[in-house]
Amino acid sequence: MARRELAVATQSAAGGDLEPSSSSSAPLASDDALANYDPVAQARRRETELPASRYKFRPPKYYRGPLHPHQPPPPSDPSSRLFVPSPFTLPRLEQTYQSTIASDLMTLAYTHFPPGYRAPPKGPRLRPWEGPSPYYKNRPLRGPRGGDVLHLLKRPITFRNVPKLEGVTLHTMVPQAQDDSAHLHVAGMVLQAISNVRVTTHAARKSVAGFGLREGKFIAATATMKGEDMYHFLGKCIDVVLPRIKDWKGVRGSSGDSSGNISFGLSGESVALFPEVEVNYDMYPPRMIPGCHVTIHTSATNDRDARLLLSSIGIPFYGKQIN
Amino acid sequence: MVCAKCQKLLKKTELATPNVKKKNEMYFGSPAGSAKSASKGSATLGNTGVGKSKLLSKSAKNPYAAYSSTCGGCTTKVDSGKKFCQRCAFKQNACAMCGGPAKELICKSCREHLSRRKYSAAAAAVAETPEPVSSIPPSTQASGPKQAYQLRAGVVLSRPPQLTRDLTPFEKAFFLYQRRLNERLALPFTRYFYFKKDTPADLEWKRKMKTRMTPARDIGVYNAYGKEGWNDEVLVGAKESETEEQIEALLKDVEAVSVGGAEGEAAKQESAIDRPMPRTTEADNLGDHKSLDRLLQRTLYLLVKNKEGRWTFPHDRIAGRENLHQTAERIIVQAGGVNMNTWVVGNAPIGHYNYDFQKTIVDLEKGVEELGERVFFMKARIMAGQANLETNKFGDIDFKWLAKEEVEESVTPRYWSAVRNMLAER
Repeated sequence: MARRELAVATQSAAGGDLEPSSSSSAPLASDDALANYDPVAQARRRETELPASRYKFRPPKYYRGPLHPHQPPPPSDPSSRLFVPSPFTLPRLEQTYQSTIASDLMTLAYTHFPPGYRAPPKGPRLRPWEGPSPYYKNRPLRGPRGGDVLHLLKRPITFRNVPKLEGVTLHTMVPQAQDDSAHLHVAGMVLQAISNVRVTTHAARKSVAGFGLREGKFIAATATMKGEDMYHFLGKCIDVVLPRIKDWKGVRGSSGDSSGNISFGLSGESVALFPEVEVNYDMYPPRMIPGCHVTIHTSATNDRDARLLLSSIGIPFYGKQIN
Repeated sequence: MVCAKCQKLLKKTELATPNVKKKNEMYFGSPAGSAKSASKGSATLGNTGVGKSKLLSKSAKNPYAAYSSTCGGCTTKVDSGKKFCQRCAFKQNACAMCGGPAKELICKSCREHLSRRKYSAAAAAVAETPEPVSSIPPSTQASGPKQAYQLRAGVVLSRPPQLTRDLTPFEKAFFLYQRRLNERLALPFTRYFYFKKDTPADLEWKRKMKTRMTPARDIGVYNAYGKEGWNDEVLVGAKESETEEQIEALLKDVEAVSVGGAEGEAAKQESAIDRPMPRTTEADNLGDHKSLDRLLQRTLYLLVKNKEGRWTFPHDRIAGRENLHQTAERIIVQAGGVNMNTWVVGNAPIGHYNYDFQKTIVDLEKGVEELGERVFFMKARIMAGQANLETNKFGDIDFKWLAKEEVEESVTPRYWSAVRNMLAER
């Protein structure tokens, strides 16, 4: 990394809230020394190689427990075997969320409780079995009233838990891959191209005659994005792909799993609109680009908040909204 | 707006339409219900099941027709047995149910609280615990005029950032370093997936790769797989991490493709490539504080200069039965004119400002002595348009669109300490 830039960064940070004194604000070397510094030439000039211990560090291949003297470095260390370089950019959607959307959502969802307010006590979500029967002793608790689904708790939104995007999962199922695996290869390449992560393939768990599925045959691929990749994918989706889909009404209002994850589908033609596929569309075999399901995971605990978040980042919804 | 007498009626679980049959009795195939109702002589006899008369008029067929009613003040449909709709009841200061003068009024939120159903278990638990003693002292009736504060609403009208922010030098250097590390660790670029062999595009790619030695277009000249791949850090003063340099590199990459054709076309093609718009605008250079096109990376706030020459957010008294949201919408129109497309965010204020008058204002008509003013700020966003003070109702002289630190310079220190925490950093 550029050393002078680091020094500049610490100087500019001094104006803000950060600690002004820092070890990296040490005075720079003289201009003469800087101009003459050439690490590559220096290495070439060296007649004998440096001992490996001076510049090579091999982390242990296996983790042998916390008491072993040879501990692996943390995954964020470039020398770690688990290191994955990132981030490379500061995505626009993330910046918009931080600067605009999060504070607006918090203002929208604010519920006021006057001083001295105490929330009325609620009954337990899982009730004990009460009655004279001796079999009620030590029996697992009863499910919630009115159904056996134990929904996530809905907490009031504060500055700590403003709904945010957590991840996006792309999923595509290509049953034709049972006869010709090329379909699955193409599907995997398309998903990797548009998502920038490696895909996982999935086999049919059991045979379904109606769908023509045979057990154990690989038929589907998924890609799960988080962080920077997720923001870039959603940004492309919202700004480039979705506006170009013909007669697209939006995401159906009833979509969602009632715990803040919302899905929609893209047809094969829509997937081909992604810029990564478009640049070399001809290299994909004709009529093999599959459609896919896009599931957006949010930290909201109900679909209403998740829909509020998604519509604020620019995903339209249509039809009756079910929470 | 229901009087205390009718409030008791509300809480009873008796049906409002006692003679109307239940739903299952109204359809064919509910023998038990229909046998019972036939003996009773119900109000809707002859309207159900096989014995349903097709000759009856439409209104006679509707079993609920006798129970629906219209408001006494307007044409709004109201529930059966009610005299007024809520709006007219408020206007006439009457009970919505019985129509009589409302003496003991119960506000809407209290009524909801009263009629809220409690689970029996929870209610029992509440009954056992003693009620917490309220810390709010009971209001005392003074002999003179009632002392109070002026209630005002302010509008923090803002334009959100339009551009991504400039990266700090550290971020620039860090991102370049990570990209170079990625070049070292990632699998090689699959050339044949993107370029067919021996096509012009493939030859072009090979030529570019020879010069920059890496598939990535914006990390400078760097060979990740070579013997000197370890040299991934840039030296002091290197330009590779600068955003402008990276944009230039990307543009050069695109332009090089078009140069491949005939020489005459090259110049034409070059001009066809869209260069990114500048990140600073004319308004930035001129220092035009009235323009919304300035400081595109920052949030801008609308400040107005009032008659006394003080810069504040637009604000006004809350009039009548207005709520804060409605007041905010009114203030935006009355202060900045109709030529603004705005959105008032939510119903709750984001901050408040207290100001005590030097000398209290006594309003004998209302019997109120005003001690000072309390301004509650509502958040609003401008989507399009521009403020215009020609139709201003508050006598404001001037307006400005300012970023956070410019707001600090314009307003009084006291005002700043009240508003600073509700303004976004960026």
